[in-house]
Parts: sequence; structure tokens; C-alpha cells
Amino acid sequence: MIISSGKTVRLNRIFNPNDGRAVCVAADHGWMSDPTPNVLELRRILEQVVLGGADAVLVSYGTALRMGNFFHGKNSPALLIRADWMNMPRLGGSNVSNILPAVNFKKQATSTAKDALLVGASAITIYYFIGYSDEFEAINIEQAATFAKECRKVGLPLIIEPMAVGAPVTGVNITEILIASARIAAEIGADALKIPYTNDVMSFKKLVDEAGVPVLVLGGAKSDEPRDALELVDEAIRAGASGVVFGRNVTKARNPRGMVSDICALVHGNKTVNQILGIGAKKRGRLRPVAANCTGCQMCEFVCTHYHSSEYGQEKSRLRIEFKYKPNEPHTSKPIVCPLCEKCVEACKEGALTIGAEGYLVLEKERCNACGDCVDACPLHLVFLDDDKPILCDLCEGNPQCILWCKQRAIVLTEIKESKQHVS
Amino acid sequence: MNINVGKNIRMSDFIDSKDNRSMLLDLTVTSSIGAQPGTENISETLKQYNTIFDGIILNPGQLEHHANLVGGKLRAAPLVRVDWTNAYRDKEFCLPAATVKRVSLSDGADALTLGASAAVATFLLGFGEDLESENIKSISLLARECYRLSLPLVVDIRPIGGNISADNYTGSIKLGASFMMEAGADALILPECEPETCKLIGMWATVPVIMRCDEVPTSEKAQRMLEAGMTGIVLSEKSLPVPGFDGKATALRSLLHQ
Repeated sequence: MIISSGKTVRLNRIFNPNDGRAVCVAADHGWMSDPTPNVLELRRILEQVVLGGADAVLVSYGTALRMGNFFHGKNSPALLIRADWMNMPRLGGSNVSNILPAVNFKKQATSTAKDALLVGASAITIYYFIGYSDEFEAINIEQAATFAKECRKVGLPLIIEPMAVGAPVTGVNITEILIASARIAAEIGADALKIPYTNDVMSFKKLVDEAGVPVLVLGGAKSDEPRDALELVDEAIRAGASGVVFGRNVTKARNPRGMVSDICALVHGNKTVNQILGIGAKKRGRLRPVAANCTGCQMCEFVCTHYHSSEYGQEKSRLRIEFKYKPNEPHTSKPIVCPLCEKCVEACKEGALTIGAEGYLVLEKERCNACGDCVDACPLHLVFLDDDKPILCDLCEGNPQCILWCKQRAIVLTEIKESKQHVS
Repeated sequence: MNINVGKNIRMSDFIDSKDNRSMLLDLTVTSSIGAQPGTENISETLKQYNTIFDGIILNPGQLEHHANLVGGKLRAAPLVRVDWTNAYRDKEFCLPAATVKRVSLSDGADALTLGASAAVATFLLGFGEDLESENIKSISLLARECYRLSLPLVVDIRPIGGNISADNYTGSIKLGASFMMEAGADALILPECEPETCKLIGMWATVPVIMRCDEVPTSEKAQRMLEAGMTGIVLSEKSLPVPGFDGKATALRSLLHQ
């Protein structure tokens, strides 16, 4: 790819030249939606974001003027300026608070490429809305083309953010629209894209391949669990994305610094989500059922059996699905999983069962005399003897397969607080 | 038509001055409907075909990012498409167009900055008066700018609107060609039409006229086009995924420049 010297130099401030990837944080929400705590406490949050090691931060022009100190120095994040404004979060139906609802969708160009260059920006970011109406898309294309021309003139990279919104956009066509919009944005002149994940690796890979310019995946609404956000990053990177632009998942996180640092470990450090969440490392986790999500498919039982015994079936599963039937009501199901209560460990007089340094149950087969005390001690009846050895949940040695395979997220991993840790 | 030296030099980048013939490839529909078969990886497409064609029509973003693969003495000259339209979004596209729009993507100065040998504008016909008048206005202004900048302006005539029928198709092509000559185009791209129409336009057009084809024409068909006064052929992206495209395109090149 050949682009101007100015663009190359500035892109190198955003994308790490060693791996061509970038972890960017979007902190421009106050420009377009309600003054929520992450907007009001932006200075404190940005301090954390910088400490976390973000490669770039996206802010409005005004914020860049007020908080320019965060972008001083070689090791500071690169400054990205949001060069347009829109009122989509205020149209209703969005997942953010809305003090003053809007009826008509509006978008305005608010800064020029030259304005951004003069405040020291390394790129500008603009929206490209597709799907709302043909008229609105044409306005978006025209604005994007004007920005592209200006950016070429002044050597400033242009990041376009395609967003598929509007009545014609459905669950059926959104992936196809996003893939097309990514290419359209590149054809107009985007040097990089900020785009939603398509929810599967294959289609996102197609999007990345066909775009032909670096693709940064955005995080969207704050995920319920940090793991969900990290898994999105992991999948996008595996699909060929060049990094992320995460907003609310960072700025609304309890620990923005930690979140940025975790994302950096995924993007730049080639770590896995499990490694980052500390499964099999310092932090300890345990399985937690989310009964409301369980469909009773019993996939977890099959996966558990196959993973440990290479057998097909449910008999040797270390967890089970419990069904409840009530007359005239739909049946309900719930995963019964090992809560790591350690009753089995306490019951084992031989000391064959321990919680290992990595946080999961470990059986020393040589010490086990197959007395069955652990079987009796388990309040959930999840431990049983097979071939005179206890079968119990070892969290798949830190990589629980039931979690990986349960698409409904009916089983999640929750961290055990430090005070409860029991390291042998 | 009296065009200036700069235009002559740039025109000769994609219309061979020895035989006054040209073979072009148009890869710009992707700005409307995303990647199409054969254009998924634009870099690979350009590497594969940049020595077969005299010129390749690209969108501004693609030309900027792949300028190293076009131009110069041995490779196809870049021509830049300066507008965008959703007119190609039919029912097969994931988001069919309800209202046809056309907006400017680039201008003469930007095209020159990008290193283009010509600006290519689209003239849509058959979509109603509002779109047509805006289209006329924008091409007229572009023609003035291109004249000042010595940049050739190629106009791609597309009679594809709902008001076009079998009865007025040929007439619409003639109308479009006439309008665009009056507007100041330096070359025209026509859709496929009868040899008589080609001959008629070829006779009164004082600028090169190039025919758009969705598949590589047979040698007989190509010969007929040339005899009808056409300067050359523009192959659309639809021609790319056809088996044996490379061989057919190379053979067409030999025929055009023999």
C-alpha cells in the first residue's frame, strides 16, 4: 500500500510498527449522547487509559483542546479527532440514556482535516451511515469523499466508521451490508476502518479481506462480562483485524486501566482470553450457571464427556443439566456445575485431592484409594467413581470446554475473591 | 475539438497514440455494491491485469492505496471515477436502492493529485429530471475544472433508469452522447448498442468513443465495433470471473492494437 509520507508517519503513531496493530479507545461519547458518568469523569478515565497502554484515543475537537496533555510525548497515545457529529443515540431505541430525544436522524461535519492536523491529530474518524435512507447515505458518502480529499491534501489518515442502521437493516442482511460498506468506505478513501463485529470469524475475515485497509473492530455497548468483550477482540484479531477501537467497554469498566491492558495483551501480546482472565494462572475462577440462558440442549454434557474420555455420550460428564417439569408450563433446565465448594477436598483423608496452584481440582492418582468419601461429600452429586478413580470437574485444566461450547452462555466463569483463595 | 497539450499527453496514457485505440478495465462498481467476484483483492487484480490494459478506472481510495501498481511506461494508466451512485443496487443487493442518488467523490484537482490520467464521470439517464439536471450541472462544472487543469474528462453514459425501455434505449444513448459532447467531455464511454448507432455516434463525435462490455467480445464483434468507429473497449468487472478471461483479454488487446 502506497500512501503519502504524512499519512504513513501518522499511521505509524496509531498502529504499532512491530505488529501493525492498534488498541484505540473511543472517548467521544459526550459529543453525541448524554453526560453519563463516563463522560463527566473523562479526565480520570483517560488517565487510566493512558496508563493501560492505549495506542490511540478518539476524542472530540473540544476535548482535544481541554485534555491535550494526555497526548504529549512519544509514549502517549496518538490523538484521533472525531470530525463529525450525529444524533443517533437520541433517536430512541438505543441502549444509552436519552435526555432530549430526537426525531430526525442528523449528521454534520464539524471539523476539517486541517483543524485536526493543527491540534496534533494523527487521524480523523468519521461516520458512514448506510441503511437509514438513500438520501442520508448519499450525504454521508459526499461528506466522506470531501474528508478524503482534504486528508489527501494534508497527509492525514482518514478512519471511516461504517454503521448499518435503519429499518431495512435486519439480522438477515446486516453482515452482508457491513461487508459491502467496509469495501465502499475503502473505495471512497478510508485509510482504516472502525467497524462493528459481524459476530463470527468467517464473515469478519471476509470483511477484512475485501476491505483491503486495516480494520479496527469496535466494541459497541458495554458487555455484561469483561470476558464477552475480550472474546470479541480475540475473534476479530483471529479474523485478521488490525486492532480495536473500544469505547464504553473501557470507559465504563470498573477498571479502565486493567481493561486496556487486557486488550493490549490480546492484540499485541498474542495472549488468549483464558490466560488474560487468569484461568490457570494467579486468579481463580469457578463455574457459575445462568439458568435463564439454558435451553437444555445438553451440549455441555457431551463436550465434557468427550473432552475427558474421548467418548460419545453424557454418562461421564462432570456436570449435568437438571430439568424441571410443571403441569401446563414449559419445562425449565439448569446446568448443575461444580461450584468449587471444596467439600470433596476436605473429605479426602488421603490428601489425594487438592486445589492446585492454578486454581482447579487436582487428583493425585497414586494417593487415591478409591474410598468414595469424595463422592459422598459432593452436595451436588457431581463426583463419581469410574475404574476406581474419582471423576470430578477440573475446569478442563483451566480451559472449561462447557463454557467454550455453550453458545447460550448458560455457564460462565466467575472470579473467586482473593480472600477465598486456597493455594496449596 | 481543440484540447490543450496537457490533455493530449494524458489522453495518450490510455489511448495509444500510434493506433488511436484503447482497452480499459473498470473496477469502480465496488464503491456502490462492495467487492464483486474477481475484485475481492484489488491489489491482486491490479497485479494480474495491469499490463494487459491501457488504462484501469479506479475509485479515489483504491488509486491512492495502490498507486504503485498502475501508471508509468509499462502499466495501465489510472483513470479515477469521480462520482458515486447507488443506481447499481438492484434487488439482488442486500440493500436495494429506493431512490437513486449520485454524488461527487472527487474533483479534477484531487484526481491530478492522485496521479490520474483522466477523470471519469457518470451520466445517468432515465431516472427523472431532478437527477439528470444535477448530473448535467456537476459534469459541466467538472468539465470547466478539467479544462483549466488540462485533465481529460471521460464521461460514462449509463441509460439504466426506469424510464429507459427497448423503444428509447438507442435514442437515449444518442441523447447522452450529444449532451456530454456539448458539456465538454474529452472522451465518451457508451453502453453496448447496435453497430448502426455506434457508426452514427462515431461519425459525428469529435472525441474518442469507447464501448463498455460486460464480457470480452468475440473477435468478430470487436472488429465490428472498431469498424463502426469505436476507439476501443471498456471491460466491466463482470467480465473478470469468466473462465479464460486472461487469454481472451490478451487476444482482444492484440486485435485492438494490431
